[in-house]
Amino acid sequence: MSSSVDFQEFERHAPDPGAKRDIMKTFWILFGLTVIDLLFYFWLPSGMIKNSIFILLGIVKAYFIVGTFMHLKHERKFLILMLIVPVIFIIALIGVAMYEGHYLFNLHWN
Amino acid sequence: MSHETENKLPTKLWGGGRSPFNVEYGKLMMWIFLLSDAFTFSALLIAYGSTRSSFPAAEHHASIPFGSKIEVEDLHQYFTPSTPGAELAPGVQPHWPSPDLVFNHFPFLHGHHLPLLFVSLMTFILIFSSVTMVLAVEAGHRNEKKEVAKYMYWTIAGGIAFLSCQAWEWTQFISAGANLKSNPFGPVAFADLFFIVTGFHGFHVLSGVVLNIVITSNVLKGTYEKRGHYDMVEKVGLYWHFVDLVWVFVFTFYYLI
Repeated sequence: MSSSVDFQEFERHAPDPGAKRDIMKTFWILFGLTVIDLLFYFWLPSGMIKNSIFILLGIVKAYFIVGTFMHLKHERKFLILMLIVPVIFIIALIGVAMYEGHYLFNLHWN
Repeated sequence: MSHETENKLPTKLWGGGRSPFNVEYGKLMMWIFLLSDAFTFSALLIAYGSTRSSFPAAEHHASIPFGSKIEVEDLHQYFTPSTPGAELAPGVQPHWPSPDLVFNHFPFLHGHHLPLLFVSLMTFILIFSSVTMVLAVEAGHRNEKKEVAKYMYWTIAGGIAFLSCQAWEWTQFISAGANLKSNPFGPVAFADLFFIVTGFHGFHVLSGVVLNIVITSNVLKGTYEKRGHYDMVEKVGLYWHFVDLVWVFVFTFYYLI
């Protein structure tokens, strides 16, 4: 019977003495990025560049939340790929929906 | 097969008997759920972007100084209200309102133009509660029951504070006359999408708070101490961070852009 198997299905992460410092560092990075968001909001003139900066900062924040807080940085490469690769569907949908939106804009207002 | 070979650690990842991703199955399932939830939120946010780009944009109103006294009536000139039964004047285009004129209130500072201030506070509350959550997970790795409970309390407090802020924000918007059928600030779709996206996110926060309370009571009962690991705290933590992650993008698309 295989009930006597004593190997582990997976290995738990060992307690990491540097984890707390890493967490606090990430907290200050997220805090700082949000403050930078606010500064840009009031200082930069509105336009495509400003919006691109906001989206870029959002992606950077997402990297720190998913990487450090959700611990994905330290997981297996295939788990990371399994979760990151499907994002291409989201990017594709952004492309389609924005095209559609501009088409409707032209239909209604031009 | 001898007993020795049976107990040998299989070396092949996909050879069976081991998790190929080297994670506990519940955690893997949580990740897959979060991926599907990410699709749902993306669909909502993309619908927002596409709807917004199908309307003429509002002109920029940076000319109103931050913190200056302003009456609601003064702002009416910037909006093309949508009310059921009322037609727009011929030639007038209903433009998408500038969010800094719609969400410019702060509790106890009524009548001042304070765009982005309140929602930044909400963002910081959620980041803070995300940090306390990851600290609870970290304490769980060290099997420190009391520390896990302490950080879980802070996380629950942060979640409740965030929900209270959102309730206040909704109250402001609704008492200004916005609902699913009419919007004094612009196209009805603006109000609809605001209620649906922030409502769906708020519902996630509410579910997260409930899950956190359940997990905390288990921590206090010593369920995980007996089990020898705090994996459940980690799984709920994943969900909680995801809620924070979604808020980062709601904040970006609803308030910044």
